[in-house]
Amino acid sequence: MSKKITERFLKERYEKDDHYFTVYDHYTPNYFRPTIPGKFYSRHDTLDLTQADPKLVDAIKLAKDKLPRDKYPWPVTESHNYGWYEPLVPLDRNDYRFYCPAKTAPFVTHEILLRLDKTMQKPKFVGIPYPFRIMSPTIRNVQQPDVLLELKSFIGGATHSTKPNHFELTKAALNLLKTLPAARDAVLEYFCTVFNVATQNFIVRIETEIATGQLPPATEDDEAIISEIHGVICNFVSSNAEAWAPIISTWSLELLGELSTRYAGRAHVSTSVNETLQLWMSCRATRTLIDITTQCLSSHIHSDTEACINALLDTSVKHSPNFDWVVAHVGSCFPTTVITRVLSCGLKDFCQNKSYEQGSQSPKLKSVVGILGHLAGSHCEDIHTALLDLFNWSLKPLSPGDQEDCKLQKKATVPFLLQLAYLSPTILVAISKDICETLTLSAVTQLCRFIDDWCKYFGSPDALKEIIINLIIKCEIGGVQIINIFLDCILIENVSIANTMKNSIQKCAQEMLEHLLQEIDSLVRAQSQHPNTVINILDSFIREVAELDEILTSTQLKASTAAKIITFIGHNNPSVLVKSCAHLFKNATTSEHLASLVYILTNELLDKTRDPYCEKGGHFAVILHQVVTQAEEMPDGSKEEAYLQLIKNLLILLRWEKSEQFPLLHSNVIWRAVHFNIINLTKLFGSKDYNLEVQHAVAELLDFLRLPSLDGINSYPIPLQAVLNLTSGAVRYFFRCCSESDVKKFLGLGRIKNVLKRVVLHSKAAKMLALRELLEGALFSDTKMLFGAKAESSLKPDDFEKLLIEQNRKNSKSIVLTKNSSVLHGGVIGNGRKKSISSAELSKEAISDNTEQFLRTLKACCTVPVGDDDTAGVDVSVDSLTSVSLLLVQFVSPDVMYNGLPWPEEEFCKVTIERDFYIRRLFNDTPLLWDLLTFVAMYRPTLCYCSVLLRAITATLIHQWNSIGDQTHLVDPSKYKAMLDTTTKVLDVMALGQLLPPPLSSIRDVIPYVKCSEIVQILRDCVWNYMRDNVPSPALFNCDSSGMVWRDPTTARPPEIYTTTLRIIMQQNIETVGHLYCHMFIKIPSNE
Amino acid sequence: MTQLSGPEIKNSLRKLDYPLCAKEAIIKIGQLICNRIPSLKHMDLALDLMAELIFCEIDRRGNKRQSPLTSLDELQLLEILYDYINGTSNETSRNAVFLSLFSGTTAMMRSKILGKLISVAIGIPAPCVLFSASVWMQQLGNTSPNSKQLAKSLIKDYFILSPSSVPKLSVLPHIAPQFTANFLTAVSNLYFNDGNKNPILFPPTNLLEMITLWVKDNTGLCIAAQQTQSSLPPGAIAMEATTPIAGLLNWTILAPLHGQTSELYGKLHLGLLNSILEIQPVTPPRAISAAHLLQPLGNIIRYLIDYQRKCKENDNGIDKQNRLIENAELQLSLDRYAQAIQVALSVNCVYGNMDDFFYQLTQLPPNRLLHIVTHTHKSNK
Repeated sequence: MSKKITERFLKERYEKDDHYFTVYDHYTPNYFRPTIPGKFYSRHDTLDLTQADPKLVDAIKLAKDKLPRDKYPWPVTESHNYGWYEPLVPLDRNDYRFYCPAKTAPFVTHEILLRLDKTMQKPKFVGIPYPFRIMSPTIRNVQQPDVLLELKSFIGGATHSTKPNHFELTKAALNLLKTLPAARDAVLEYFCTVFNVATQNFIVRIETEIATGQLPPATEDDEAIISEIHGVICNFVSSNAEAWAPIISTWSLELLGELSTRYAGRAHVSTSVNETLQLWMSCRATRTLIDITTQCLSSHIHSDTEACINALLDTSVKHSPNFDWVVAHVGSCFPTTVITRVLSCGLKDFCQNKSYEQGSQSPKLKSVVGILGHLAGSHCEDIHTALLDLFNWSLKPLSPGDQEDCKLQKKATVPFLLQLAYLSPTILVAISKDICETLTLSAVTQLCRFIDDWCKYFGSPDALKEIIINLIIKCEIGGVQIINIFLDCILIENVSIANTMKNSIQKCAQEMLEHLLQEIDSLVRAQSQHPNTVINILDSFIREVAELDEILTSTQLKASTAAKIITFIGHNNPSVLVKSCAHLFKNATTSEHLASLVYILTNELLDKTRDPYCEKGGHFAVILHQVVTQAEEMPDGSKEEAYLQLIKNLLILLRWEKSEQFPLLHSNVIWRAVHFNIINLTKLFGSKDYNLEVQHAVAELLDFLRLPSLDGINSYPIPLQAVLNLTSGAVRYFFRCCSESDVKKFLGLGRIKNVLKRVVLHSKAAKMLALRELLEGALFSDTKMLFGAKAESSLKPDDFEKLLIEQNRKNSKSIVLTKNSSVLHGGVIGNGRKKSISSAELSKEAISDNTEQFLRTLKACCTVPVGDDDTAGVDVSVDSLTSVSLLLVQFVSPDVMYNGLPWPEEEFCKVTIERDFYIRRLFNDTPLLWDLLTFVAMYRPTLCYCSVLLRAITATLIHQWNSIGDQTHLVDPSKYKAMLDTTTKVLDVMALGQLLPPPLSSIRDVIPYVKCSEIVQILRDCVWNYMRDNVPSPALFNCDSSGMVWRDPTTARPPEIYTTTLRIIMQQNIETVGHLYCHMFIKIPSNE
Repeated sequence: MTQLSGPEIKNSLRKLDYPLCAKEAIIKIGQLICNRIPSLKHMDLALDLMAELIFCEIDRRGNKRQSPLTSLDELQLLEILYDYINGTSNETSRNAVFLSLFSGTTAMMRSKILGKLISVAIGIPAPCVLFSASVWMQQLGNTSPNSKQLAKSLIKDYFILSPSSVPKLSVLPHIAPQFTANFLTAVSNLYFNDGNKNPILFPPTNLLEMITLWVKDNTGLCIAAQQTQSSLPPGAIAMEATTPIAGLLNWTILAPLHGQTSELYGKLHLGLLNSILEIQPVTPPRAISAAHLLQPLGNIIRYLIDYQRKCKENDNGIDKQNRLIENAELQLSLDRYAQAIQVALSVNCVYGNMDDFFYQLTQLPPNRLLHIVTHTHKSNK
């Protein structure tokens, strides 16, 4: 049966083989297929190809080296399709409008979905891997055999070193440890071997990795054994810490020390503690040990700190420096204790060395530095405290009970700290932080005692100084504090110590400071060649620049030191310099401060061609700008003081510069800076926000600056805004000056004139502005009172209803306007007659004084350029005065129409009567207007432009004289007098302006003697008609050879028709006006 | 056996490696010491061999060795010593070798190894070794510093370091009663001792527990050391063993005064009283020394002085006498004291100057039972 099946089976197999298989027994090479990779050491690959068939060689090369596109005429596989053909349409792959590639494949998306699905996730493996799963229970649940047997087997295993089975032995050892406490030492010793083997394996693995680049797998044995030991020992320690912790910790520390010494330098180059730590923490054995150690220490450290740390450090001393990583690691678990102890340990060692060379080479010191450096990362605060404590301890006077070595240690503390700082930047940081609190003057005096010893230690005082200077330069923080300490030492005064000591401290500090500054100086200079070098202390200065600023504004030595430092900073960080200088400039109260400012600004270290500063007019310009803007932002109270100080300082500097006694200032730094800030400075001028003191100061400054300069020496263009600021400021300042009664006022007024003169000559716009502002201020604003104007009657809102026009409106909806629609209102109904408001606030003298000043200022505004020969003898430009008179018209006449020069028919006055009355009232209220008219009239022919004003007044006068009776001068003498006065004034002005030629010019003398009706007649026939027929225009005037413009009275005599009325009236009153008549009509001057 | 001279023996042994040479050396030592008439020369040779080849304290030139044994070597040495002692059938020679190994000038030096050896012997357990140790303790005095040192190391091993093995010790009295008794005496002197200079130490709870168990379950344990005559090498004088009774009573009496309120002290006290009752009367009595029984006295009086000072600071109003009577701790302590004295006297096992003993007791503060006891003694006289 079975045989039959076999046969059938064989037959079937044969048939299948026959059908599907082809047996090849002859092979030929296919040179067009890629061959197996060549081997450089193979005999066949180093054949001489020249002897081979070139066709074959080419074929092989083609197969081996060419890319598919070279080999095949068309894409062979699907993947060849990509990039085989050039695209028909060139494709821009950044343009996503037509290019939409699929970013993921569907199967990837699917897989991601699967993985995101929580239900599909397998639980993470947390159990014991397979090989241990079998072994572990055998260790744990072993049947307790006879103790003696176990002991013997352990001894046998542990002592016969031929291939011990560590696994079995560990099992036995752990059992012994549990059951036979007496054997613990031996067991632990055996564990040393176990750990050693494990560590060795690890190191060898790492070395293999370094050599070959591949990490061989860890042996599972080691892992299992060590984790087993770890478990048991940890159990012991945690269950009975007090008894076991000392034993275990001593053991583990000792073992760690041995291991790290034994494998030091293998598999790693020990450059820093951190790297070593990394390496050892990745080793299972040492990590376990460290873990055990920290557990022991942490369970024990509270009861017996000293013992624990001592054990740690003893081992550390024994195995230094390879053991440092352990101390560092443990230290980060118990920072405070370890840091303190490590320091004291280092100090003890340091004491042993007699000299600096020896001390700096000590391995112990290096390990102390290493440990502290490692701890500094996370426990800088603790280190700082510990260092401070150590230092303070060394300062404490020796007590008699102290041992000899304690004395030595105290002496050595400071050199030790210096040495530490020298070796480790982190410690340097810890030391230099808040150094001024540590190193007070009293501390310095205390330290004096030790100096000799230190010098001995470092070899010479110079060496000591050298190292200290070096350290200081390396400081990253506290630079300013150090400088402060030096300064304090130099200025040491009220400390109760011996004079000799005081002197020596002073001398020494001075020397050191000088040395330090020199050193920094040379470093800074060298830095420009090597831009990448970092001068740490400069960084520190920059960071603490605020403190530096404080020193900068103190006395002599301090300030000059700080100034030097600032220049050092400024070499590379002009912005810091600028800030400090701004502070200095703002707070400078003595010329010393300003001198140091100048020192800084003109120092050679300062690169004056740097970009932002060069463009903005030098560093000082920026400083000035900052100061001004800062002052602007200050609170109101201190603002003015700040400005005062600022301007005062600026003035001093400018004076220095101008005096040309200081070679440093020859480049006109200050002037240029002021120039660049002129807009800001002029903005201050005349601002209402600041009091008069500031204004006086600003005025002084601006006057001093002589802006804008007319003589092209300092020909910087002055911006228009500054000019306008200056102008309006000057005007405002003028009014403020006028309201004062101080003596300074006159100084100020003089300055205003100077300033205005310059400004006006510089720019026409400024001139117009000045005139307009002046006039407007004097005539309309509140300041008009200064010039005798009456205050305006203020209409209260409820008074408004009482206006007659309003009342009328109530009665009828529309007021029928007659031909003459003007409504003359002489008062307010219900309040009786309008009360005239007296303005007796200012004395007459003051008013006239002010008026005088005003006119002078106005005149200053109208000056002509000096040296302009055409108008010699004339001190005022006619153009300007024309402007004045046009402005007057503009201001005074409320209408825009009928302001032309010609006088119309008298009848036409009915149209303009309201306006005429308005003008008349203005003239009544504002006496200054008369003065202005007079002023204008003096400079012919400008009065012509005021024709409308004269016309209005004349018209109103004619009305008035017409309306009152002849007896008025008896009935109402004051009214009569006022009218007469006004008439006289207006006639005066017209005569002065030569608008009325003689004899009309003398009418003013006549009218007091004639009756009212006669006055009307004269005004109407002589004045009005003459003016109507002779348009008062500049064309009437001639310019003579000397530049004077005038109207020759001999040729411009009015025709009879205008004088007849006057003559007849005078003849009628010949008894009173006879003397005038003679002058006017008989003794007529003529050309001949 | 061919007699080899001392140097020859040494040289032949020196050729061997360490553990082996020790093994051979101890056999040799045994031969030398257990000779019928051990000469002084032999003794010296034996001591030299011990120092050089067994304990490795000196090198072959007799200088002190710098590097001591490693722990593994030590463990091997322990094994050898154990094997030898355990394997020696003759009790006398066993004791002789043991005593020469661990006594004399080198006793303190070797105490560490001795401690470990005994610790191992307890752990295994090995009655022979323990018996030898008991003899050693007895010969050196079981309250001597050496014995105390041994006791300390044993306590550290078993009660402090591995409390888990304590239950194993409960059978110790059955295995080695003499050793246990001597051990107890040594231990009793470690705690509640004179608190004049050092602070008073209290026994760890598990130790106290174990002792209570031992005493309670084995009433004859306390006098076990006195029951058997130890076999000593010829020429040696047997020393009398001190029973732990007085020392342990000291614990129970002083415990209330020092705030040790554990019930165990009460149980221990009961156990001790029972033990005393079991003592067979012999003449002259030798179980408890009167001087030893006076141990608690000084401590009680010190407590009294402290207490009175404290009372004086507080107030003076209350009657002094009453206050002492109302002090429960003091009264409990005195009660226990009186009970112990009463029981001990009743079985007549106290030796020493009894008159002085009772005179000393009069210094104690008033206690009813104590009063009765002293009064009875007086009237009996």
